[in-house]
Amino acid sequence: MNDLLDIQFIAYELANEKYALKISDVFEIIRMQQITPVHSNKLFLEGVINLRGKVIPVVNLHKRFGLPNYTNTKATRIIVVKSRDEMIGIIVDKVSQVIKFDDIQPPPEMVAGIDGEYFEGLGITQDGVVSLLKIEMVLYE
Amino acid sequence: MASIYESSEMIGAFLDEVEEQLQFLEEGILELEQKEEKPELIQKIFRVAHTLKGSSSAMGYDKMKNLTHEMENVFDKIRNNLLKIDNTIINVLFKCLDCLRMLKDDYLENKNDTKIETSELLEELREILDCKSNCVCKENQEKKTEAEKSDSYSLTDSEIFVLQDSDRSLLKSAVLEGKSSLVCQVKIPKDSLMKATRACLIFNSLNEIGQVIASSPNIFELPDDCEVTLINYLIVTEMSSKELKSRAEYELMDVEEVKVSEYMPANVKEEKKAKQNLGEEKQVKCKKGNSDKRCSQTVRVDTEKLEHMMNLVGEMVIEQTRIAQVGNILHGRYTKDTTVDDLMGISNHISRVVSELQETVMKARMLPLQQLFNRFPRLVRDLSNSLNKDVDLILEGGDTEMDRTIIEDITDPLIHLVRNSLDHGIESTEIRKAKGKPEKGILKIKAFHQENHVIITVEDDGAGMDLEKIKRSAIEKNVITEQAAENLSQSEIVNLIFENGLSTAENVSDISGRGVGMDIVRNHIDKLNGIIDVETKEGEGTKFTIKLPLTLAILTGLLVKIHDETYALPMSNILEIVRKPVSEIESVNKQSIVVIRDRVLPLIWLHDYFGLPRKKNKKNVFIVVLGTAEKRFGIVVDKLVGNQEIVIKPLGSYIGKVEGISGATILGDGSVACIFDVVGLSKMINNKVVKESINIRANNEVKDVDDKNSKTTEGI
Repeated sequence: MNDLLDIQFIAYELANEKYALKISDVFEIIRMQQITPVHSNKLFLEGVINLRGKVIPVVNLHKRFGLPNYTNTKATRIIVVKSRDEMIGIIVDKVSQVIKFDDIQPPPEMVAGIDGEYFEGLGITQDGVVSLLKIEMVLYE
Repeated sequence: MASIYESSEMIGAFLDEVEEQLQFLEEGILELEQKEEKPELIQKIFRVAHTLKGSSSAMGYDKMKNLTHEMENVFDKIRNNLLKIDNTIINVLFKCLDCLRMLKDDYLENKNDTKIETSELLEELREILDCKSNCVCKENQEKKTEAEKSDSYSLTDSEIFVLQDSDRSLLKSAVLEGKSSLVCQVKIPKDSLMKATRACLIFNSLNEIGQVIASSPNIFELPDDCEVTLINYLIVTEMSSKELKSRAEYELMDVEEVKVSEYMPANVKEEKKAKQNLGEEKQVKCKKGNSDKRCSQTVRVDTEKLEHMMNLVGEMVIEQTRIAQVGNILHGRYTKDTTVDDLMGISNHISRVVSELQETVMKARMLPLQQLFNRFPRLVRDLSNSLNKDVDLILEGGDTEMDRTIIEDITDPLIHLVRNSLDHGIESTEIRKAKGKPEKGILKIKAFHQENHVIITVEDDGAGMDLEKIKRSAIEKNVITEQAAENLSQSEIVNLIFENGLSTAENVSDISGRGVGMDIVRNHIDKLNGIIDVETKEGEGTKFTIKLPLTLAILTGLLVKIHDETYALPMSNILEIVRKPVSEIESVNKQSIVVIRDRVLPLIWLHDYFGLPRKKNKKNVFIVVLGTAEKRFGIVVDKLVGNQEIVIKPLGSYIGKVEGISGATILGDGSVACIFDVVGLSKMINNKVVKESINIRANNEVKDVDDKNSKTTEGI
């Protein structure tokens, strides 16, 4: 848990909740773009986008966690993460800042109605608690 | 000891060469079997064997060398009319060919330690040599000596040298310069070993004295162990004949006799005669010259590089469409700005260059089908021999070019079809006679271009298919139910042969009849986005027509809209596009169908599968009729956007396999469109389970659509 203290995180928001991803997981952050739907049996797969000539899938985390669906605003972003050698976009409501945490607590059983298994832990800042997502687990399980 | 012959490049070059020469050899032997022995043909085969021997001994591959050496001996005898070609010889030669192939394949793994046994074949070859040649040999020996005698007499007055135009002009200019052209006749002692090598050595030393233009017999084509004793060299030199003689006697060792005489360019009449005699040989030479020239102009390129180039060109095609689109927008926005006009001009030019580049790269990947066709004569010969059938193979359009990867993938299916035609299609000679057909069956394989496709047809004039038999077999093997079988149309019955496990052959042979063949054929063609059609008439024959795209990486696609989503359909699968009133769409067993040109086609409303609302209040709908392998069906689309070159991009492993979608492509405006996988779509029709589960999911969202749907059904 302690080694996480040295790492920078990118903080973002999903349905007014604060989350964060390890900066090493993030490939880039882009504005919302037109997403082409792919009708597959993965329910939370939003579709695909064109990232400079590459076709990459985009995942709707709101659907994944059963949150109220996102509305496309000026602040909506797609965070492109690199997971298992593949680039995957995730839709977030807002990307706020790059932060380091003073203290990280192990996750409780449930975090904001989501199974605690999906979290590395809870980061404590002066403004409140930030949930640290295990992105690979979220995407693949 | 590591020699340069052990380097991988050398081995690669050696194997390539062997492969090429074996191909020539096979062609040659096949031709030899069919036609009377022609000197030029035998000369060609002989040369192939010689080349093989040379390169294999250079690589130190003894087994191959020994085998080719014996083969060379046989060809040499044939060439000198000491041996008559008959079936046994041809069969042994084919065996040798197979053995050489095995040796070649084995070389990569085992180098010289190959375990493939050649001694038996060597024995057979020697047998041929011994038994057949002995009798003729003596006779010939006499002839030879006679020839020798006459040779020495006719030395000065006949054209004994085979001169090429370049040699002749050389001779002329030399004479003009005041040099003399002399014939130096050298006699090599009878007991000397390796006479051909000696002849070459003499050639080299004479070359130091003057310029040797030609020799008779041509020392470069002599087999190593030939018993030549008398060799004439044509030399251009400044020396007189006497000088040359003394010089030659001094320089040349181990020579019995040297004679020097003036060379008289023969008069026209004789020249003509000689030309006729030597014409054939010359032709071969010319051909060889040409191919040498071509070789130097080609470069072997790794196919991976080509593949990569193709990908890059694909990217460019996409970006080019985008530039054009942006240009158009700017043009609309800033009508007065001339810079925009410049941009448009540049964009147009680039698009021309890119499309030319694309074509060129595509062409670079193309190969003539001939290399595939080359395999068939042998296959047909072997099969018809083992089946005791008499079959004429006609190959047409071998120069049709196709993408390398497609040729590779289409090879197996074609071989299957040929095997089937021979085994089940064409009847044995007796049956054919009884039926009043010509005794020889005909198998015709034809390839040609049609728009953006290559069509390959395999046609035989055999028995055709027995529809009843197919139906019975299908029911027996539980491919379809009896009830379903009753309702099938003729073409549907024929198409049953593509189902897994179906065979109408009474006996399973090693050639065919296991009922997997046609299934594999269909899968291969599916994979290539191809279409296969069968026409059959009982008693008259069967014709398979395969339609394939020219290339796989970039394809022409039709862009369509379903609801407001854009999709691309591979043009090669589109048969036609029709507009039909909604009222003409009927429903049977919950499956929409439509009649187009008297053909009942199942219809897919992708809207239902994707959970999109069907367009309401529309009188007519567009139906795109698709075909894959043998299946035909239609899909309903809301709008036709147009056709465009599209580059297939994979969806990636995260999304995985999506039913009905083969990949995605990037459109001119930068957005992504999914490409329909026609094979996958066709499976949707039969896949009731998927349909129902999707219906449940879609029910909530598109209830009104379903309602409307059921209403129309009721209305009918």
